[in-house]
Amino acid sequence: MIYTLRHLTTYRYARTVRFARCNLRLRPRDGEGQRVLESALHVAPEPTRRLERRDFFGLDTLTLTLDEPHREFTVEAVSRVAVERPAPPPPEAGPSWETVRAAALALPSLGPDGPAHFQFPSQRVPLDPAVTEYARTSFPPGRSAYGGAVELMHRIRDDFRFDAKATTVSTPPAEAFALRAGVCQDFAHVMIAGLRGLGLPAAYVSGYLRTRPPPGRPRLRGADASHAWVALWCGLEMGEGGWIGLDPTNDCVVRDNHIVVARGRDYADVAPIDGIVASAGSQKLTVEVDVIPEDEAA
Amino acid sequence: MTASAALADGPLPDASAWAADDPAARMRRWTEAYAPRPGLADELVDAEGALRGGWPRFLERLARLDDREVAARFLSAERHIRDAGISYRVYGDGREHPWPLGSLPLVIDAADWAELSAGIVQRAGLMERIVGDIYGAGRLVAEGFLPAGVVAGHPEFLRPVHGIAPPGGRWLPIYAADVGRGPDGRWQVLADRTQAPSGLGYALENRMVLARAFPDLFADLHVERLPGFFQAFRAGLAASCERSDPRICLLTSGPYSSTYVEQAALARYLGFLLVEGDDLVVRDGLLHVRTIAGLKRTDAVWRRIDADYLDPMELRSDSRLGVPGILQVLRRGGAVVGNMPGSGVLESAALSPYLPAIARRLTGEELRLTGPRTWWCGDPDGLNHALSNLDHLTLRPAATPLRGPERDAMLAGPALDAARAHAVAALRERPFDWVAQETAPLSTMPAWQDGRLVARPFVMRVFAAATPEGWRVLPSAFCRVAEREGADPSEMRAGIRSADVWVLSDTPVDTPTLVHTSAPRIRRIAGHLPSRAADNLFWFGRYLERAEAVIRLVQAHLGVFTEAVAADASGEAGAPTALAIRALLKEWGSVSAADLGPAALAGEALSGKTVHGSALSHGLEARRIAASLRERLPAESWRALADLRDTLVYAEGWAPTEAQLFGKAERALGHLAALSGLIHENMGHAAGWRFADMGRRIERAINTCSFALRFCGEEASAEDLGVMLSLADSQIAYGARYLVGVSRDAVCDMAVLDPNNPRSVAYQIQAITAHLDALPALAADGLPEAHRRRALALAVTLQTSEAADFDAEALERFESDLEGLANGIASRYFPNGPDALRPEKLTGLA
Repeated sequence: MIYTLRHLTTYRYARTVRFARCNLRLRPRDGEGQRVLESALHVAPEPTRRLERRDFFGLDTLTLTLDEPHREFTVEAVSRVAVERPAPPPPEAGPSWETVRAAALALPSLGPDGPAHFQFPSQRVPLDPAVTEYARTSFPPGRSAYGGAVELMHRIRDDFRFDAKATTVSTPPAEAFALRAGVCQDFAHVMIAGLRGLGLPAAYVSGYLRTRPPPGRPRLRGADASHAWVALWCGLEMGEGGWIGLDPTNDCVVRDNHIVVARGRDYADVAPIDGIVASAGSQKLTVEVDVIPEDEAA
Repeated sequence: MTASAALADGPLPDASAWAADDPAARMRRWTEAYAPRPGLADELVDAEGALRGGWPRFLERLARLDDREVAARFLSAERHIRDAGISYRVYGDGREHPWPLGSLPLVIDAADWAELSAGIVQRAGLMERIVGDIYGAGRLVAEGFLPAGVVAGHPEFLRPVHGIAPPGGRWLPIYAADVGRGPDGRWQVLADRTQAPSGLGYALENRMVLARAFPDLFADLHVERLPGFFQAFRAGLAASCERSDPRICLLTSGPYSSTYVEQAALARYLGFLLVEGDDLVVRDGLLHVRTIAGLKRTDAVWRRIDADYLDPMELRSDSRLGVPGILQVLRRGGAVVGNMPGSGVLESAALSPYLPAIARRLTGEELRLTGPRTWWCGDPDGLNHALSNLDHLTLRPAATPLRGPERDAMLAGPALDAARAHAVAALRERPFDWVAQETAPLSTMPAWQDGRLVARPFVMRVFAAATPEGWRVLPSAFCRVAEREGADPSEMRAGIRSADVWVLSDTPVDTPTLVHTSAPRIRRIAGHLPSRAADNLFWFGRYLERAEAVIRLVQAHLGVFTEAVAADASGEAGAPTALAIRALLKEWGSVSAADLGPAALAGEALSGKTVHGSALSHGLEARRIAASLRERLPAESWRALADLRDTLVYAEGWAPTEAQLFGKAERALGHLAALSGLIHENMGHAAGWRFADMGRRIERAINTCSFALRFCGEEASAEDLGVMLSLADSQIAYGARYLVGVSRDAVCDMAVLDPNNPRSVAYQIQAITAHLDALPALAADGLPEAHRRRALALAVTLQTSEAADFDAEALERFESDLEGLANGIASRYFPNGPDALRPEKLTGLA
């Protein structure tokens, strides 16, 4: 499947911003079942300085410095991506979770895809005993890591309420867990905390999801959203280098409807835009996303 | 000040006093009662019970002082610490605690020290190579010498640092290790300190204090000196910079850091600029410091903030302490940062089992200094060993260091079965988070308690600096001793004291000389003044002057009231002049109500703790600001500030008489005068001094205008004018100049317009314009900057006016113009001036 992606972000500031520096992490990831055919970025105002860099986890990061006074900052990322992933493994496939835990740690690699990075707490996903307890139910001794994680995903889907008002971008997973509510970021963080609490290597994936307009209605411009889910390392022989994507928000194993932008330890590693502005006033953020599959192109 | 300079201070005690007692008997009494715990290594006595190394020499020499004299010397050391304001904070507690210098130094002889130093040098070099490999080629992990999980699981493994080659070629300009003796009497490393080791400054302070208290012992025993190490450390950092005359900053998290006092002391001693994250700016790929002369390039940063707070662009995005973009500067080689961010990964407790093999692999040598035997439980063999030997092993988190009380609990080991059961469960769940360690109680050293020597656990932090000639070890250490047995002294907190460490040379040591063989470039200022320091100095001056103004008002009120009572037996406290003073004190927030009794009013205005405008509150505010200026103010000013506070503070419930209050005010003015004198006579008359003086001058000008508005108006009574003269401290000068009684215009001329009266508004403006003329301009266009034009306009107004022109309206206008000038100075020079923009986080799920 080939997708055209458009991601428009606008910051409007109450007072003039004289200086800003920001990181953009918006270019979709190449490899592991997807290919970036085109990718372009439009930024206004024109930055004084731009610097491209590939970060530790292989994500293309563009750092911009804006010296010109401005009241509005817009970033539009447009790309075309071809996605073709293998079918999910059969249920309960692959090595046991205890084996996976030990195998991940035994790999003599600190490379970006090395699972050891994803077994430990990270800035936005501290371990939480209550979340670990919750996850443990799905992991009796000897069960396949993949099988346990799929069940955990079902349970999160069943037990949690999707509620965009319940949490914010900085809600810690323990809080979202207590509320049993939140959005894709919260579900992913909770699931990761549970898996890592048991010692399993779990990553945070940011990207987009194909949505289907209601039957007979046209696709509304800007109505899609950026999305987040989980990748579990299930042993080298499984999936792509061991990684299998699991989407607790939609209760599905990731295949061709998901487009990956970045994989990191948590949201902090992959935030699409972050940085600092020198300003005394408040800011207002609006985001528009379009995910247009090419077979649908009208 | 160097240790040798300290030697010159203070008279030596009278030698005849020592002979009265029997030194030999005294020494026997000390050593025979000394009882270290069996099975533990001790510094004073070895396993055979013989006195170790340098101790016989030291104790013999100490025993020549009688007990009273020894106690007196220790007391004088403590007094010095209090006077100098040497202090620290406990993690998570805001208060400053006076530095607890233990009594005896730890004495180590040259041979013992040489062996320890050789081990430290080897270990420092090894650490440098390991961290270079972790963030570079990654061979140790790939070849199986270091498990990936040990690195990946440590919070100080900073992924953005991966692939950066450290500018200047060094990861660790400074390395430290906490050492003690194992049960076999050999030195062992209890912890590596690679992130931002603290203690160097305290080691220096300990030395200054102890060398001053025991100058005789210090000289006779050939104690190794410290300055050479610090010079070498500075030279090493400078040599790694691109420019030959580099600007080096010490990056602090600010006055609330637990070791801020030592950071300030080190900055002063080493000649580094003490800066906070906000003071540094990344522009054009280089690092700059904000100064009053604009942005100036910075070559190197000695980092004393934790690395994950260093750069909100790439590390913790919520950090307010760091410098946005500094990692990118490192990537480009634009500045040296020591220690490099990410070096903290070497502090992992899980590293230790792998070090011997890594040492052989990287250097071909055996590791000379090892730690207690340790197993990382992420390794299946380590886990098995831990589970089957739980009774004599201690479980510790591999990644996060334990803090004081937690450490006590851990070291207590088997006593805490519940905690252990919990730990075992955790061990099975996530074994890679744990290490198991053979832990013996810490070795002991003698401490002085009530005239006796007692054995107490200690930890000693040894430092090594990277210099162009190789590693150099500080011939002393930062030693911490527990006051009671069984406490863990690794971290400064209640019940832990510090001690100087004396390495005794066999031959007389070189007295460090201040005469350099190579001639430096001559300079008269220490470099551009950072904007933040200018801001603080300005406000330091303003608060001192505010305190003085309040005190003078209180004195005036006490005087007026006393006279009013004398003139009118009915006790006319409501006389108009007294009422005006009360109203002004109320307006300034110096008193909570204007209708208090005279003594209560004076007491509150001087010493009130709950009113923000009392002289005490202003004095404390000045002291708080001074804490951020430690490295810039004369050392004695700390004592003068303490005196000011002690004079103004009084105990709850004390009801002083008016005469007592008058005396208190008088003494407080004396301390303020002493502070002015120190600032004027003991600070270099460079930009820093100019800001302190400008703060004082602008505040005095504003206050004098306020006084003149109230006590020197067209309708002013003789009493009002008398008060005006006393507030301007000009009664005597007036008497000498005018033989007739007080006249409004004559008083006004003296207090406002007379450029030769150091209390007049005109004098202050004249001084301010002179300061501004001497400060650097931003643009080289020859035009005066806006704030300077303001000052000049005010000066001209005063020069061209007569007293009669200065009616109430003119005074009011002039006062507000002065406020405008103060704001103009702030906008131009200070980071937090009214036009400053605070960096905000760019947020939002995009």
